[in-house]
Parts: sequence; C-alpha cells; structure tokens
Amino acid sequence: MAVKKRKERAFGGESGNSKKFKKYSNSKGPMKKNKNDTRKKGKGPRLPSALRTELDRLDPKIASDSDDGIDLDVGNDVYEYEEEVPQEESRKNRRFDPVENYDYELPEDFEDENVPSDDEDDDGDFGVGGNKGSRNDDVDASDGDEEEDDERHLRMLQGVTGMSTDAFGGKKKRNSVVISEAHPESEYNPTRDVLEGDSHITLQDLLDPIQGKAGYSKLRKRVQHMDRKSTSVQAPLPKVDREKLERMAVYEHSKKDITKWEHLVKRNREAPTVFFGGDVDLGFSTVGAIASEFEPRTEFEKKIASLVYDDKVMEAHKADGSKLLELNKISEEDYMKHRDHVAKMRSLLFRHEMKQKRIKKIKSKTYHRLKNKDKLKVESAEMLMDPEAAKEQARKQEFKRAEERLTLKHKNKSKWARRILERGLNAQDEGTRAALAEQLHQHALLTRKINTVKDSSSSSDSSSDDDDEGSNEDRASELLEKAKEKTLKVLEDDEELPNSGVLSLPFMVRGLKKRREEAIEEAKLALQEYEQLEGTNDAENSKPATASGRRVFGRANNEVPDSNKKTKTDNKMKMDNYYGNSDSEDDLEAKANVNIEGCKRNDVEKDVGPNYDRKEAADVSIFKNFDDNGDPGSKTTYEVAIFASDSWRKMKSENGVDKNAKKLQQVKEAIVHNKDMEEGEEDSDSEREQMVDGILSSAPKESYELPSQSELIRHAFAGDDVEEEFEKDKQEILNEENPEPDKPVLLPGWGQWTHVQQKKGLPWWMLKEHEDAKRKREESLKKRKDAQLKHVIISEKVDKKAEKLQTKSLPYPFTSKELFEQSMRMPIGSESNPETAIRSLNRPEVVKKPGVIIKPIKFVEMHHHEKSEDYKRSGQKQKKNKSKGASGKNKKQSN
Amino acid sequence: MGAKKENNGDDMDEKVKKYLRGEAANLEGLKDKKLKGQLAVREDLYGKSAKTAAKIEKWLLPSEGGYLEAEGIEKTWRIKQESIAREIDISSSKNQYDIVLPELGPYTLDFTSNGRYMAAAGRKGHLAIVDMKTLNLIKEIQVKETVRDVVYLHNELFFAVAQKKYPYIYNRGGTELHCLKEHGAVLRLQFLKNHFLLASINKFGQLHYQDVTMGEMVGNFRTGLGRTDVMQVNPFNGVVALGHSSGTVTMWKPTSSVPLVKMLCHPGPVSSLAFHPNGHLMATSGKENKIKIWDLRKFEVIQTMPGHAKTLNFSQKGLLAAGTGSFIKILADFSGSQNYNSYMTHSMAKGYQVGKVLFRPYEDVLGIGHSMGWSSILIPGSGEPNFDSWVANPFETSKQRREKEVHSLLDKLPPETIMLDPTKVGTVRAPQKKEKPTKKEIEAEMEAAIETAKDTDFKKKTKGRNKPSKRAKKRQEMIERAKKPFLEQQIQEHERSRKKQKTNPETEMPKSLQRFVRQKAA
Repeated sequence: MAVKKRKERAFGGESGNSKKFKKYSNSKGPMKKNKNDTRKKGKGPRLPSALRTELDRLDPKIASDSDDGIDLDVGNDVYEYEEEVPQEESRKNRRFDPVENYDYELPEDFEDENVPSDDEDDDGDFGVGGNKGSRNDDVDASDGDEEEDDERHLRMLQGVTGMSTDAFGGKKKRNSVVISEAHPESEYNPTRDVLEGDSHITLQDLLDPIQGKAGYSKLRKRVQHMDRKSTSVQAPLPKVDREKLERMAVYEHSKKDITKWEHLVKRNREAPTVFFGGDVDLGFSTVGAIASEFEPRTEFEKKIASLVYDDKVMEAHKADGSKLLELNKISEEDYMKHRDHVAKMRSLLFRHEMKQKRIKKIKSKTYHRLKNKDKLKVESAEMLMDPEAAKEQARKQEFKRAEERLTLKHKNKSKWARRILERGLNAQDEGTRAALAEQLHQHALLTRKINTVKDSSSSSDSSSDDDDEGSNEDRASELLEKAKEKTLKVLEDDEELPNSGVLSLPFMVRGLKKRREEAIEEAKLALQEYEQLEGTNDAENSKPATASGRRVFGRANNEVPDSNKKTKTDNKMKMDNYYGNSDSEDDLEAKANVNIEGCKRNDVEKDVGPNYDRKEAADVSIFKNFDDNGDPGSKTTYEVAIFASDSWRKMKSENGVDKNAKKLQQVKEAIVHNKDMEEGEEDSDSEREQMVDGILSSAPKESYELPSQSELIRHAFAGDDVEEEFEKDKQEILNEENPEPDKPVLLPGWGQWTHVQQKKGLPWWMLKEHEDAKRKREESLKKRKDAQLKHVIISEKVDKKAEKLQTKSLPYPFTSKELFEQSMRMPIGSESNPETAIRSLNRPEVVKKPGVIIKPIKFVEMHHHEKSEDYKRSGQKQKKNKSKGASGKNKKQSN
Repeated sequence: MGAKKENNGDDMDEKVKKYLRGEAANLEGLKDKKLKGQLAVREDLYGKSAKTAAKIEKWLLPSEGGYLEAEGIEKTWRIKQESIAREIDISSSKNQYDIVLPELGPYTLDFTSNGRYMAAAGRKGHLAIVDMKTLNLIKEIQVKETVRDVVYLHNELFFAVAQKKYPYIYNRGGTELHCLKEHGAVLRLQFLKNHFLLASINKFGQLHYQDVTMGEMVGNFRTGLGRTDVMQVNPFNGVVALGHSSGTVTMWKPTSSVPLVKMLCHPGPVSSLAFHPNGHLMATSGKENKIKIWDLRKFEVIQTMPGHAKTLNFSQKGLLAAGTGSFIKILADFSGSQNYNSYMTHSMAKGYQVGKVLFRPYEDVLGIGHSMGWSSILIPGSGEPNFDSWVANPFETSKQRREKEVHSLLDKLPPETIMLDPTKVGTVRAPQKKEKPTKKEIEAEMEAAIETAKDTDFKKKTKGRNKPSKRAKKRQEMIERAKKPFLEQQIQEHERSRKKQKTNPETEMPKSLQRFVRQKAA
C-alpha cells in the first residue's frame, strides 16, 4: 500500500492533488478549502485537458485570472495522461481488497502534518506547488525502499523537462537526509528546504528545453513581461480591518445615494398639504386634440385629406404663419453679435477660472509670503482711506489680541519652546534663538498693540503720536488747544518792548504798539473763535467717543495724574467720567478713577452713584420704620386722624383690620418723616412716591375731607348707608374667599400659671405664624382684580363647568402660551371667513382622492438655485395647485 | 360671505387689521422649525383671508350710516321730528307715528333681532304683534291679566310674556304654548339668543335661567338684594345684569350662584341700565338724578351726566336713548372718544309717561312704549345700515327663517360659555391656587391610606412576639394612625364652621340690639 502511495507522489507532488482530495474526503479531517476546490472542479463543462492546455498557452490571462483551483487544475491536467489511477482506487470493480481502509489506520499526526501543506498547495501558485511536491518527498523519504522510487521520479522529471539527471540528482542526494521535526510546518516553522533554498525549479529551467520550437519566443516574451511586471504582493489586511474599510466605503456611497433624496423629503415635510393623485392625466379631451389624431382610412376620407392637405392650401397657411413669425425674427448680425458676446464672456470666465485654479494650487512659500505682504499693504492703505475698513481692522486686531491673551500662544508655552528653554538658550544655535525671540516679539506686538491705540485716543497730550484714525476730533481739539496756547502767548508777550536799536525810536515804537494792538485784537477774536469751536467740538467729541467703543475706553490708572493738567477743561473731565462709566472691562479701575476725581474736585462733578445709593438706603430704612410702626399696637394713636379725615369710615377702623386705614397711617407717617429728614430732596421724594405706589393710590381719598354741597345731598339722599353696606359686603366676600387667619389662642389655662408667663404672652412662633398668615392674606387681597376698585367686587370663584373650555396645559408643539393663543385667535369657520379662504384654512394635511394609487416618491433633480429656496416657495407652489383646484371646483359648481 | 359689520373704515389696511383679529404671532424666537413653518403658512392664510374679507366689505357693504349735522348756530337737539319729516322720503316718514291706546295702559315693546316684527304689551293684558315693514297687525290678544314684560324668543314665531303670576310663551298666532310656573311672578324677562336661555327676575329677587329648547331649568339663584325690575343682557358675553335698590349692579351667569361682579353704581336705587352692543360700555341711571357710563373692561366710570332716566337703551351704532316722564333724550358720541353729548331730544304729548325706549335694529327708528300706547320716531344714524343675512335678515322669507332656526339650534352655545371675557375660551388656563379637596376626595384618600396600612407586611418576629393577637392589635393601631390626620382635619373644619356660625349673629345684629344677645360663658 505504501508503495502505491509513494508512486502516486512520484508522479509529481503538484499533480497528485485530485486524488489526494478524494482520499481526504474519506479521511477524517478534511479542510474546508479542499472541499471548495473539489466543488469548483465539478463546476462547468470539463474540456479535454489537452485542449485546455492549448488554450492556456494561447491565453494565459484566463488562467491567471481564474481561481486557484482552476489554476491547479491546469497544473493537474498537464499530467493527466501520464497519471494512472490505481485500479483499487478507481473502484471499477470489486476485485481488489478495499485498500483505502488501511489509510484509516494511519496515525493522526501524519494526517495533520499533511493538511497545512495541502492548504498551501491550494493557495500557492505553480512554483510553490512544485516546492510542496518536493517537501512531500521529504516526508516520505523515511521509507526504506524509496531508492527506486526516486529513480523513477528522476526519470520522470527528465522526461518532462528534458534536462540531464544531475540537475535533479544532486538535490536529491542532499534531501535524502531525513530530519524529523517536532512541530508541524507552517509559515512560522519553515521546512528545511525552504531555509536551505536552491531547490527551486526556475522558469528558465523549464523554458530551456523548448528553445527553438514554435511559439518559444512568444512564450519567453510573455514570461519576461510577467517578470518585469511582477511586484511583491502585500500581505492582505486582517479580515476585521478589511471589512471595516469595506463598510466605510459602502457607507460613503450609500450616503451620497440617499442624500440626493433630501430635498424631496424636505419639500414634502414642509408642505402644508400633500397632494396625491392631484394631476391624473386623462389625455386629450379637446376636440382639436382628438381631431389632430385623425388618420384618413377610407377612400373618401383620403380624398378629403388630400384636398385639405393640398400643397397650395398648406402653403397659404404657411405664408400666413410665416408672416406671424417674421415678427420674431432676429437679424443674423444681431444673433452673431450676441453669440460672440456670449462666447467671449464664457471664455473670459473660463480663463479666470483656470487662473484662479492655478493660483490656488501654488504651494511656494515665498509666493504666499509676498502675497500676504501685498494684502497687508492693500489693507493698510484701505485703512487710511476708509474708516469702515479701519474699524473692521481694529476689530480684527482686538480679536487677535484677545485670542493671544487667551491662548498665550506666543509666550514660549509650546512644547518646542519649553524644551528649548529647558535646555538653555545658550545651547541653541542662532536660528532657534532668533525664532524664539521672534515669537516673543510677536506676543508683545499682539498684546501691546491695543495699549498704544488706547493711549493715543484717550490722552490729549501733544506728545502722543496720533496715528490712530478714530481720534480725528481729538486731534482737532488738540490743534485748537495749541492755537489757543500760541495766541495766549502772543497776548502775554506784549510787555517786552525793545529798548535799543532802531526799533527803540519813538515812531517805530508807536508803530509797533499799533501793530501789537491790532495783533492783540486779532488774537482775542481768534481766541473767541477757538472757544466757540471747542465748544462744538466737545459736544461732538462725546458722541464719537461712545461710538468708537472699546478701543477708546479703559483709561489706565496712570492717566489720572495726567488729567490734572490745567489745560484740561471740565468738559474733558466729564468725558473721562463717561468713559469710566461705560467701561465694561476695566470697570473697577474706572470707578476708582471716578472716586479719586470726586475727592479731588467736588466742584467739577457729582459723584452720582454712591450718593444715590446712600439715599436709597435711607429710604429703605424709613420704610422699615413704617412697617414696624404699622403694628396693631400703635393703631389707636391714629384713629383720631382717620376720624377727622372722613367720617363714614369710622366703622371700618373699629373693625381693626382695615387696610386703607393702615395705609393712611403709613402715608401720614411718611410725611412726618419727610419733614424730619433734612435732605428733603426731590429725588428722594419722587423715589418715595414710587415705592409707596399702592399706598399713594389711596392717598387722594383724603380729598374727600371737604364734603361739597352735592356730596351732602347725596349723603342725605342715600338714606340707608349704601356705600357702607357695600363696603361691608365686600369685606365679607373677601373674608370668605380669603379667610382671615385665626387669632392665636392658647388652650384655657395654658400659659397662665404665673405672672411671668402671662406677661410673656403668646409664644413667638404662634405670633409669627399668625403674622405670616396675615401677610399672605394681604398679598392675595392685593392681587385681586378689584383690589384697586373700591366700588367693585369681582368674584374670584372658579367655575368648574367653564374650566373645560380652556386647556389645562399647552398643546404639544407649542412652548409658549402667547404663541399658542395668537395662533388660535383666528376663527377658521365659514361664518367668519370669506368663501375663498375657508377651503385653504381647513384643508387637511393629506389630500387624496379615493381610489388613487399613491406611487412611491420619484426622484426629481433639483437645480442649484432651487436648493436654496425655502419653504415659502414650495408653499406657494402648493398653493398654486390649491387655487387651481379650488377654481376648478368652483367652475364645476357654477356649471 | 363672512360676517361683515361695523362701518366702512377709510383705509383698507385698517379693515385688514380688523379682520386679522389681533397681532400675528412673533416667530422670531421660535426654535421648533416645524412649528415655525406651520405657523408661518397659517399666518399667510390668515392674512389672505383678512384681505379678501376687507375687499368684500369694501364692495358689498357700501351703505354708510347718516346722522344729523348742524349748520352754524343750529343745534342738533333743537331739530324736531316735524322738521325731519319734511326732508325724508315717504317710506321713512311712515316710521313716525303715535299709536294711542289709552285704555290698556302703559305699553312695553320688544323687537325681533332683525327688526321686522314688534310685540307690544299693555299693562292690562293687551298683546299685539305688528309687522313693522307693512305696519300690519298680525295678531292681537287680550290675556286679561297684568302683563309686565314681553320678549321675543329666537324668532318672531314665539314670544314670552311676563304675566301676573307666571310667564307664558305664546306663538305668533296667540296660542299659549307654555306656562313657566317655576319662574313665579316675573317682573322682567330677557332672552339670550346664542344660548337659547330665557332669563327672568321675579318679585322675590330670584333669577331664573331656562333653556327654551329642552325646557331644562339651568339656573335658579337668589340674588338676595330685593325686588327689582331692572335687568339687561350684555349682548357681547351673555352676562345678565341686574340693578338693585341698593345702588348696586350685579352681573350673573347661569353656572354660578354668586354674582360675577357686584358694583356700586349709584348711591340710590338703580332705575335702569343698558349695554352697548360691543359689550364694553354700560349705562346706568340712578334715582339720584345721575346717568353714568361705565367702562366694563376696567369697571370705571367714564362719564357722569345729570339727568333722570326711567329707561335706557343703546342703538346698534352706539346711540343712547334715555326716557323719563314724557321726555326723551338721545345721546351720541360721533367723535369716538366715548364722550356722550346730547344729540336729539323728543317730547311726547303732555301726560304721556314713557315706560320703555327701544331702538329698532337695522333702522333709524326709536320705538317708545308709553302710558298712552306706543310711538315711533326717527333718530338718524342709530341703526346699522348694512345687515348680514347670516346674522339677521329683515327681509327673511319663511324658508330662510326655518333654515336659520335649524342653524342657530345647531350652533347653540352651552350655558357655561357665558363668562365675563368670552375671548378666554380656547386659551390656556392660568394656573390656579390649590382648592380645597371635596369631601369625596378626602374620603377616597382616607380609604386608600387605610388600605395601604392593612396591606403592610410585618416582620416575622421571634417566637414569643409573633402571636396572632398581637399582630392584629398592631394592625389595628396602624390603621388608626393612618386615619388620624384625616379625622383631625375633619374636626378642625367642623370647628371652624361652628365658630363662623357662632360669630355671625353677633356681627349681624345692630348695635342697639347687641345687648340682648345671650351671653355665653367665656
């Protein structure tokens, strides 16, 4: 048996596959791949192998393109005719003992050893297959009587290749040494011959024998071509990654595929109404349309047709038609002109586009540097010209500054800079140091820039550079200041008269004096003018200052001493103040400024803020006093006053819970306090009025004090005290709807054991509770609709039946009450809308005729300009449809 | 055709604004894009609707109300009916007449809502139905009983009459259909058109609401303010106002036993009151010789005028007629500043006592019921010149009338829709403070608490402590504990109510009688 097996091996490792498969399929552990291969083999019509080889030779591409299995098949088929299927295996009859059974008794590891090699056989190409074959030989070499086998193999090889035996013999000898390996061979444990190498049969070896035969050159060329082309094949990615990549690609693709539907979906979503089967095409229905489809069939019809479609008739018609068309005619010249123009424009556009494309592609650093420089230049020029641009620029700079301050990008914080600093600056070369310095410089530039701007705009010193564009007015004022100073100097100069020389001559002196006087007058006039100008300028000044925003404010602290200069006017001071108040960033500083200045010169400006605060505080305290005095304990003292004010309130005050009375007390007290207060200023008074609010509203009732004649008559007339009754009524209803809290009472006997206890009275928490309840009641009474209306009681009772007419909570998509109520304000019924509007107002979301088949959404390309359109447009479209439909319906109705 | 009312404005925009019924929603801050889109579309539709409505109004409501204009030193209130009669056409002059019926004593009137028919009721039982277009007497009956008031129901077919003991409902043919015994001796009747409610106030100051479709008594309230015959329905919201002898005016709705509003209008008794058709104005007159005009949105007096009025009435265009003695005065504010000035005056023959003035709808006519019959005078500019056939059609055919009856019955509003501000319907309810739970709710809560107490599982205790008797006892205890707070609350409430009862007599008693109150041990 072993002999037979070897024989089959000897026929060529690469060739024995098919049979081996058969065997393995019987054996225990066949690999999946093998199965696959067998299946593949079964597929398709099986050509005679000779034919196939021929085909193969002619068109190796097919072979190479086709699966490995087929490749192997081809390999197999080369030897098909030499192969002798052992009779036992062919199973033609049952003459032989079932030899395969012995195979089952082979040791497991033997099989295992072979499996991977087989696997590789499948994967590998021709050369590898050869390799394997030899390896198989190795394995089998352990058998004792392999000599003859090898010889036969040699002979076979010789027969195939046509080379001398020693080409194979030497190798064979070496291979005769058997090395048993402890581990199964795999790519990690290469077999010996792989390691030793030089056991390959090169293509050259195979090609040599057929040299000079027909087709050799062709074959060789092809082989060479393949050699040249061949590159090392990368190891395939792991399966997981590969699938991931695949999925990604698929996702991208399907995303693109799906997003094209977006606009359709969006349109449908935004449409107030979706119409289905709106335009059912019924075909032509007009007489003309039907007539146009008419074809003459009978003879008579044909005759008529020939008459109707007579050339003459047609011509006449045509002539008539052409007359009409003449109006549409464009002269050829015009057309050409137009066409040329369009072509020119197009080409220009194209050129421009190309240019832009090229420019965009440029990667040169120098180019970009130059470009940026140019850009900067242009910008700076623009800045000088255009205040808007300047503003924009300033804003940008400010932003940059803020960014810089935020990130401190250039402050040697980067990893690179830190590393350099760690290593020491001295250790660095020139370039790095320069770069570092450059960075720091950049930082300084970025952060400092704004400071300079600030300085120049806020300080009025003549020393400032004034290159800021926003402070034009400031500059003007400075110029004025200078002029003023000069004129003043001129005015001061007049004492010194020349004592000697020609100029000391009397007439000269006179002349000089005269001239000086003139000059002085002129100077005075000029001064006046300047002052006027300055006045207007200052007025103007304050405005641009507010407009220029952040850059101007934020005066640094160190400017305060600067502002002490005598040349500064009060106006200026106010301006500074203004800056300080409006500042958001340097608020504290500014406030400090204000305070300092306020201390320094009280005459110039008022320190408004703190004063105001103080007043307010005083007010608050006053009102606290009121509240304290409004205790029930102090009630009696005021009763007299109430009696005096109006008599009919007597009863109420007796009740002791009267609100108005209390209010009156408070007001009066407030007045008393006012008198006491020394600083009875208007400000505080007005403030008080505001704060009193509700209380003051009751104050005018004091005018009731003087009962007029009519009043008296009225009183006399209303024999029974109607008003009082009403008052009482109201009180009752109020008590019912907002019940008065019970007076705190202890259980009889409790808390009355000793005098101490009695003196102490009720415990504090009871009193507090009572107070709280009282306050609560007061508040709820104040909240009532009729709180301010003395003569009206509006019931606050809730009508449970009417509750269902209002929604308890906001309906779903709404989030604000106002919006909901505003959207519900219009009735949409036919009673309150014109006939033409009702339909659209009450149209359902989906309009569908019964029986209409709703087709799946159809893709419609959307134009680019249409993409930007919003829902309104689509809504209009819908509406157009609607109106059409409505009009159609109307017509029907009218018919 | 939509509802088109009010005079033609000068500007189209104004009209559009009117039909838009308020500001459009501001969608700027709205984040929900879907809702935003929907609302935007809706707003667009509203705008279109309003525009078309305005256009329709412009073209279909061309008539404008006229009024008297004085030239030079002329004063409109000096213009007499005779001088008007000289200037007008024949058909209008037909509306100036006096019907003298001296026997059956002071007459009261009512018009149907379209102004076509009039019912006149004499104190001594004379009922007459007149077609005002043709001035034909349709039916005349003598009920042989005191008749205090007459009111038309939803159309001219039915009218209710307040007779000596009960109110009755008659049909046009004079057949008695119903006797409404529950109402008692009714002094004044009113009919709420949109709600199909007949409201009445009887001798004992009881206010009744009866649904005339099903005959159900909707409301029955004691006003507790004494006898009154001053009652008027606010046409805007259906609230019934009563004027009382204490000078107060109370406003009622059928679903609340307490008045919605109680306002002190006059120091003396209220003699009459009337509502402006837009519902914002109310005119009251007191016995103390004052006529007051109130703004019902703020409940404040707008204007106080001297003068007495036994009866008041607002016309469709807002003219106010006040009748006293044999003298009638018409007040008007054509400036729109709600400052009513004297517009026209009319004196009846000496000795005629005006009992009721009533403007005829859609006509410039004032009907006067007085002690000697009834009269009709012309008041230019009082009636609405354009009528909406969906609302009220003076030229209604019987078919249209039937159609309209069905429609109005289908559109009948439930009584709970009567409220002070009917625009509140359909809005979000303002969050309310928590009300007291009802008795039932409290009981249910207690039950639930007891159930939970019963269902609690006890820990398995050691041998001696796990006796069934002990466990039962413990369970009982638990139930008691669960009940306790509820019972306590009940007791507290009870106490409170008792206290209220106790304190009430003391305060109610006049001071002079308080000494007789039985002294209780302190």
